[in-house]
Amino acid sequence: MDNNSLEQNNEGRITIDHVSKVYDPEGANVRALNNCCAEVEPGEFLVLIGPSGCGKTTLLNAIAGFENITEGSIYLDEKIIASPDMNQSPGADRIVVFQNGALFPWKTVLENLIYGPMVQGKMFRDEAVAEVRRIMDKLGLSRSTEDLYPDSLSSGMKRQVEIIRALINNPKVLLLDEPFRALDSMTKSLMHEYLLEVYEITGKTIFFVTHDLEEAVFLADRVIIMTTRPGLIKAIIDVDIPRPRDFHVLATVQFMEFKDRAVKAVREEALKAFEAGDRELA
Amino acid sequence: MPNNTAIYGSQFWMQFQRKFVNWSLVRKILSMAIFILFWTILVQFIDYFHQIPTPKAVFLAIFELPVPVVLKNIGISFFRVLGGFFVGVLIGFPVGVAIGYSRILNHLIFPSFEMVRPIPPIAWIPLTVLFFINFESQAIFLTFYGAFFPIVYNTMGGISEVDICLPRAAMSFGVGKKLMLWKVILPAAMPQVFTGMKLAMGFAWILVVAAEMMSNKGGMGYYVWYNHAVMDYPHVVLAMGIIGLCGAICSVGVGVVGNYFTRWQRFV
Repeated sequence: MDNNSLEQNNEGRITIDHVSKVYDPEGANVRALNNCCAEVEPGEFLVLIGPSGCGKTTLLNAIAGFENITEGSIYLDEKIIASPDMNQSPGADRIVVFQNGALFPWKTVLENLIYGPMVQGKMFRDEAVAEVRRIMDKLGLSRSTEDLYPDSLSSGMKRQVEIIRALINNPKVLLLDEPFRALDSMTKSLMHEYLLEVYEITGKTIFFVTHDLEEAVFLADRVIIMTTRPGLIKAIIDVDIPRPRDFHVLATVQFMEFKDRAVKAVREEALKAFEAGDRELA
Repeated sequence: MPNNTAIYGSQFWMQFQRKFVNWSLVRKILSMAIFILFWTILVQFIDYFHQIPTPKAVFLAIFELPVPVVLKNIGISFFRVLGGFFVGVLIGFPVGVAIGYSRILNHLIFPSFEMVRPIPPIAWIPLTVLFFINFESQAIFLTFYGAFFPIVYNTMGGISEVDICLPRAAMSFGVGKKLMLWKVILPAAMPQVFTGMKLAMGFAWILVVAAEMMSNKGGMGYYVWYNHAVMDYPHVVLAMGIIGLCGAICSVGVGVVGNYFTRWQRFV
């Protein structure tokens, strides 16, 4: 028997099937997602990128089960996880790392880390602690942080803790919602490498939302570019830069070429969004 | 080479200062000294204020203080303040939770609160006579009333401003809707809840003094008013100081309890 939380597996396929989402506050009828179709392969690192307000977080929230959708359906492996006639149903098989962090500030790092297994009653406390420590060692988080409260950690370390808190649940996919947006650029680049390392070790499917192009190309196997209002998928770029990657990749011609392609696609959209915004104001 | 230290005094003296003289404390003591000096000058040299007791007169009044009487009055006031405060917590906290957590309850309750809240609590004094025959219940009602709104508003604010990511994360981990309030929302709201309780304690003291000044049923408010009636102003000022001290003690008490419930915040 081996319920190893870091076991490589070939689970974690996300199928997004003709998903639309219409916000209808007082009949305003805002179409946030329009007929999105995409498939995230098991073990793939997929980055969703687009200008702000294009509905990328809405899509992530729909996958996470925080928001419902108005058309289409989303599957995780064979299981349907979202459809118009389903209630929102978050689960430990797809855990989100949030933009501003969501560690529980009133719990110590260790209590935060064992939170999932304890709530689900999956493990005894001792087991959970042992498992957490094993993962901490493997993913390089110092045990000296265990008894600290999250607010006394650096912002980078908070994200590290949060990623590990997600992984202890052995989720099928990791959903990251601009997790490094609030970090300074030095910490951010360290966290990029950290996340890549975590990805190499765990082989989890990762669904990563951002509006930072360089981040997207550096991290992703595939970059999906989304358009604004209505949010639909415009282009998919395969990033064939070999793994494992480190910061040296950032200086290669290959990286620049991929980035250039992505820039062109996104720029068009950003311009459109910009002009559309102007028109709406006029 | 010129010796720079000569300009600034000997290095020994500088190190001595840094180690043994707590300048921030010196400045704080200075602030109090200036206050008392200002008070003395005002009373001694400006004719208009000559009836106001000097700091010295107030200090000397300490030795004439009828200690048993004052202690009894302090006890009476404490009873009324704490009684009203605890009833305020007992009712205000659940109400604050309810209208912070449930939109429906908020719509049903909050507007009527907003109608009543702008009325200064002291303006309720005449009406309380109609509600309660016995003075003790009037006084406790008033302190309760003073404590109630700060507790309700801050609890409500604390709860409604919890970052939505926290309950969302908890939901992913498997925390159900029924436990969400207890496990996530309340702990996250605690700092602001205790901010409200500190304010509430302040209001309770304001109200108790006002209520006691209106009657002859004892308490520190009554004691101040009594000394005013017999024109013993040093004792009036002294009693004011004692009331301030009592209020401060209560505030520290709330702070200590609050620190226990929000101990994670002290590590910031």
